[in-house]
Amino acid sequence: MDEPAIAMAGVGVRYPGSRTAAVHDIDLRIPAGELTVFLGPSGCGKSTLLRTINRLIEPTAGTIHVDGTEIHALDAVQLRRRIGYVIQAVGLFPHLSIAENIAVVPELLGWEKPRIAARIDELLALVRLDPARYRSRLPSELSGGEQQRVGVARALAAEPTIILMDEPFGAVDAIVRGSLQDEIARLHHTLGTTIVFVTHDVDEALKLADRIVVMDNGTIVQADTPLAILTQPASPFVAQLLDTADTVRRLGLIGVAGVIRAANVAQSAITIDASATLREALSALLTATDRVDVVRDGTRIGSVGFDDVRGALAAA
Amino acid sequence: MTYLFTHLADVATLAGQHLALVVTALAIALAIALPLGIFSAQNERLGTATLGILGAIYAIPSLALLVLFVPILGLGFWTAVVALVAYAQMLLVRNIAVGLRSVPAAQIEAAKGMGMTRLQRLVRVELPYALPIIVGGLRIATISLIAIATVAAFVNAGGLGTLIFAGIHQDDPQRIIAGSIGSAALAIVADLAFRGFERRLAG
Amino acid sequence: MKRAQALSLLGCAAFAGCGGGGGTPAIAIGSKNFTEELIVGEIYAQVLEQNGFKVNRKLNLGGTEIAQAALVRGDIDLYPEYTGTALIDVLKLPVSHDAAAIYQTVKSAYEQKYSLTWLDPAPFNDSQGLATTKAIAAKFNLKTLSDLSRAASQLRLGSIPEFIKRPDALPGLQKAYGGFVFKDIKLFDIGLKYKALLSGAVDVVVAFTTEGALVANDLVVFVDDKHFWPTYQIAPVIRQSTLKAMPAIATHLNRVAPQLTDAVMRDLNNQVDGTQKRDAADAARDFIKTHGLV
Repeated sequence: MDEPAIAMAGVGVRYPGSRTAAVHDIDLRIPAGELTVFLGPSGCGKSTLLRTINRLIEPTAGTIHVDGTEIHALDAVQLRRRIGYVIQAVGLFPHLSIAENIAVVPELLGWEKPRIAARIDELLALVRLDPARYRSRLPSELSGGEQQRVGVARALAAEPTIILMDEPFGAVDAIVRGSLQDEIARLHHTLGTTIVFVTHDVDEALKLADRIVVMDNGTIVQADTPLAILTQPASPFVAQLLDTADTVRRLGLIGVAGVIRAANVAQSAITIDASATLREALSALLTATDRVDVVRDGTRIGSVGFDDVRGALAAA
Repeated sequence: MTYLFTHLADVATLAGQHLALVVTALAIALAIALPLGIFSAQNERLGTATLGILGAIYAIPSLALLVLFVPILGLGFWTAVVALVAYAQMLLVRNIAVGLRSVPAAQIEAAKGMGMTRLQRLVRVELPYALPIIVGGLRIATISLIAIATVAAFVNAGGLGTLIFAGIHQDDPQRIIAGSIGSAALAIVADLAFRGFERRLAG
Repeated sequence: MKRAQALSLLGCAAFAGCGGGGGTPAIAIGSKNFTEELIVGEIYAQVLEQNGFKVNRKLNLGGTEIAQAALVRGDIDLYPEYTGTALIDVLKLPVSHDAAAIYQTVKSAYEQKYSLTWLDPAPFNDSQGLATTKAIAAKFNLKTLSDLSRAASQLRLGSIPEFIKRPDALPGLQKAYGGFVFKDIKLFDIGLKYKALLSGAVDVVVAFTTEGALVANDLVVFVDDKHFWPTYQIAPVIRQSTLKAMPAIATHLNRVAPQLTDAVMRDLNNQVDGTQKRDAADAARDFIKTHGLV
C-alpha cells in the first residue's frame, strides 16, 4: 500500500477579500489506515484544512488526491458519500429515528433495505449501543455521548475508507470524552479505516494519533509520530504546545514490552500487564519497589526497573 | 339568529362555496409560496425585497384588487381565487423562509458533509425541520383567507360574503349574523384542525 | 360552482357566435349590489325567463367598475345602468341636465367605444340627493339645496364613501352652489345611513331619490334648484353581439321600461328595504304579475 490515502500538494485556502490565507503551503501525505491528528491552537487552520478533503471548503491553491483520485475529478456530492464526516455538534436529524439517521448515506447510495437493516444493527453494536433499545429512539432521547456514538456509526455506515472528525468530543464532559476516545481507538484498531482527526486537546492527540500534524497560522510546523515530536520538537512553539519538557507524559507512549529484562523475574508484590506503558511501570516502581514484574496471560515473563525506564527515554 | 335557522341549507351551501374558495386558493398559494419561500431563505437581500413586494400586495384593498382582475379574468370563482392567492403569499412565504432559516447549522453541515444534494437536503432535512412553523403559517393564512373571502361576493363567486353584504345593504341584521356565524364557524374549525395537526407534528 | 360558470360562459360565447341556432337561448344578466339594481336585475331576468330564455344570474356585483368590466369582457350580456352614472363615472364627460340628451350621448358613446348599446330607459329618475327629517327641515327652514349650502356648517352629514369623492357628488356641489362645508362628515354603508339619520347621529344624509326609506320615514328631499344633478335613468346596457343574436330581448325589456315610474320604484325598494324585508326576487315577481308583463 504505497498509495497514501490522502495526498496534499501546495494546498492553500484564501477567502475572497481577505489579505491573509486561512491555510497555505500544505504538503502532506496521510498513509492509509493511520489515525492522523491535526493539532493546533484556535484559528490555526486545522478545521479548514480538514474540510478541504471533502470539499466543504474549496482549496484555492494546490491539489488534493484521495485514494489516488484528484478531488475535483469527482462530483463533490459523490466524493462526500465515500468519506465519513463527524462534527462536534453531531447534527443528528431530529425527525428521524436513530436507525433512519444511520441509514442516510446507504440509502443515498441505493443499498437494499435488508442490507441497510443489517448494517444498522452491526454499527450500533460496534459503538456499543444495544440495537434493540436504540434503533427506534429519537435523537432527543439520547445523551450527548450517546448521540456522538450514533454520529460515529452514521459516518461509518457506508463503509468509507476515510473518516474525517472535527473536534468530535469537544462538547461532552471529561468522563464521556475519555470513553469515546477509547471507542475510537478500538474502532480504528478493529476496522483499520484511515482517520483524520482535528483537535486542540494535546492529551487527546497524544492518546489517539499514529501521526500528529502540528499547525500554526495556517501552515504545518511539524508532522511526525507523537514520540518523535515529543523527543525532537521542531520549534519552541511545538515544544511549548506539547509541553515536551514533561518527560513523564512521554512515557505514556512507550510500551513495556520492548524494555523487559526477560530472565530477570523479581517476584515483586506488584505486577503490571505486558500491554502497559512505561508510565504505568513508573507509577508501580514509585510505590517503593526496585523492580516490577510483567505478566502476560497469567505468567510472569520478566521485570522492569528504574534504569530500564531511563534507558528507554534516552533511546526514544 | 332566526334567519340562520330558517335558511340553514342555504347558509350551508354558501359556507361550502366559501370553503371551496379558501381551500383552492390555499393549495395554489402553497404551491407558489414554497419555491418563493425557499428562494427567500437562501438569499437574504432578494428575500427581503420579495417580502416587501408581497407585503405591498397584501396592503391593497381587496375591492381594488378585484377591480384590477375583472377585465383580465372576468367574474366568478377563479377571479376570487386569484385574489385570495395573492393575499396569502405574504404570510406563507414569510413563514416558510423563517422556518427554513431556523434549521440549526449543525444539521446543515452534517447533511452537506454526508453528500446530500441541495434538493435532498431541502426535502430530507430542512423542510421536515421547518414543518411546524410552515403549518403554523398555513393555519394563520387559512383563517385570514376565510375572512377575506367574503369579497368573493363582489365578483359573483358566492360564499358567505353574499349573505353578509346582502344583510348590510338591506339593513337586515339577521342575514349579517347568519353570514358571520358561518364564517366564524369555518375559522374555528380550521384553527382547531390545524392546531391538532401541529400538535401531532411536535409530539 | 366553477364548472357551471365555465360552461355557461362557453354557452354564452357559443351563442354570441352562432346566433342562437338550436336549443334554449341563454343569457347572463348582472346587476350591482344595492337593492334597486337587484330588483331591476331580477325583473329583467324573470321577464326573459317567462319568454323562454335561460338566464344565468350574476347579480350583486361589487360596483360600477366590476359590472362594466364584466360586461365588456363578456362574462355578462347585460346589466341595468344609470344614464347619469354612465355619463360621469364611466365616460367621464361633463354634467348635463337634459335627460334625453344624456341618454343619446351615452348610447352613441357606448356603441362606439365598447360595442355595447342601451335599450329604452325607464322614466324614474334615481338621482343622487340629500335628505333630512321634517323636523330638521323646519328647524333650519330648509327647502332647497341652496338653503342647505348656506346652513351646512351647522349640520352633520351622513355620507357613503363614493359621495365625498365623485365629481358628480360633494365636490361638484361645492363648486356649483358654493358653501356645503359640513360641520362633520360620517361615512356609512348605503344600508345604514338612514339609521344614522333617524337616531340623530347625523342631520343630513346622502339619498337616492327612489329609496324606499324616504317614503317609509316621511323624509324631506332637498330641491335641486340649480339643477346640479343630471338625471339618472335606468336602462339595460347590452352587448351588441348578444342583441344581434337575440333581438327579441329588446322587445321584451322595452315593455318593462315604461312601467318603472318614480312611485313604483320607491314602493319596490320599500318592500325589500323596509319592514317587510322581502327578497328582491319576490318583489320582482309580483311587479311583473301586477303590470301584466308576462
